Amino acid sequence: MRISDFRPPIRRAFNWGVTISSVLCCNLILLTRFPGMELLGVGPNWLLIWVVAWSLQRPPLQGAIAGICLGLMQDGLTMHHPTHTISLAIAGVLTARLQKQKYIQEDFISVAMIVFGMAVVVETVMAIQFSINVLLDRLPGSYLILTGTWLYHQQVALSSAILSSLWAPVVYYPLSRWWKMIRALG
Amino acid sequence: MYILRRWWERYSVQTILVALALLASWSVRATNGVVLVEIYYWLSYPFQSTPSEAEILEIAQHQELQQRLLELEVQNQQLQTLLGYVANVPDETIIAPVIGRPADQWWQQITIGSGRQEGVTEGSAVLGIGGVVGRVINVTPHTSRVLLVSDPSSQVGVTVSRSRAKGYLRGQSGDQAVMIFFERVPDVRPGDTVVTSRLSNRFPAGLPIGQVESINLEQSPAPEAVVALGSPVGMLEWVIVYPHSPIEAGWDDSMQRSEVQHSEVQHSEVQHSEVQHSED
Repeated sequence: MRISDFRPPIRRAFNWGVTISSVLCCNLILLTRFPGMELLGVGPNWLLIWVVAWSLQRPPLQGAIAGICLGLMQDGLTMHHPTHTISLAIAGVLTARLQKQKYIQEDFISVAMIVFGMAVVVETVMAIQFSINVLLDRLPGSYLILTGTWLYHQQVALSSAILSSLWAPVVYYPLSRWWKMIRALG
Repeated sequence: MYILRRWWERYSVQTILVALALLASWSVRATNGVVLVEIYYWLSYPFQSTPSEAEILEIAQHQELQQRLLELEVQNQQLQTLLGYVANVPDETIIAPVIGRPADQWWQQITIGSGRQEGVTEGSAVLGIGGVVGRVINVTPHTSRVLLVSDPSSQVGVTVSRSRAKGYLRGQSGDQAVMIFFERVPDVRPGDTVVTSRLSNRFPAGLPIGQVESINLEQSPAPEAVVALGSPVGMLEWVIVYPHSPIEAGWDDSMQRSEVQHSEVQHSEVQHSEVQHSED
């Protein structure tokens, strides 16, 4: 039984099933901490890896929508404020804008590099959101909170970027293979 | 209207899919990911280990036993060291644990867990590993109180084992004591061993006490030396009681008298020699 034997509507449904279950897997694995997946208390950003994998061969709008959807899920699983939708949407748009097929070869290393950069972008957007919240709240000692946020940001951004880029092929490789196959079938 | 319909015909599937995806994500957010967390719970259920209350208690008990074992091992080791040490001491001795030590008189007294029933008598010498630590001043049926050599009121007749220079040792509330010489110009060097003197009757003669650390010959009225006590008086846990009774009652006074006489003689000799010296 091959996937090409199915009729197109079923194949499409199958494709959506695989895509949705991959999102589900990323969400579930977000809740775990397997040994070797942690650096300074930070784990890989699985949803970011998924967004990058999704956006690499798609237009920016789709990247943005994927970013918003996964950001909403991450909000639900972690905390609502500040929201993760903005950072993941930005990551999706930027990845789609890279137009990888023109400039960069499609291999693990370049994907890892993109994930590395996007992880830094995502953490920076989060830190900016934190800072805006702190400034709007006008809490006493907000200067100290800001300093702490940005000091911690460096640590988190670096650990998250390293881990995410190292784990990126795990998500990227099977998904890109699958989508390429579906696309080839039409 | 036509344009709208064309658009809808073309993008209806995508729009619906995007709307569905957004709706699904929003519901995940609104429910705080209840469904996902539940799925996670059931998927990870086989890998979860939830120890029962009995198991937790068992683990705790196990830990407690281990800690007790460790304590016993340390105690055993100390006792073995002490036994090996006692084997070299010829006389009959009693090994006693230190059962009390007042915090405000740390360097003055200890209470040990052996008394009259075990054969401890008033005046017995008490040794730790490394040398004399004190003498028994009070005995009850099962405990004894020991006046430590580090007590400032404790005075022990001592001698420098190399040159036989004599003096007495006074505690300084610490692991050092001061030896006050009877002679004006004693023959003593840093590193010399200090032992109990044959003139002392409070202690058997020849028990090691410590080592000379520094000497001050200028000290008036008599030269002094700082002696580091050989036994770690600050951390005693077990001691050896060396039964020893004073040769005669009231000897302490007479000994002090004799020591004083002795020192007077020495002093007069020194003065005499100084006079001769100046005459020359």
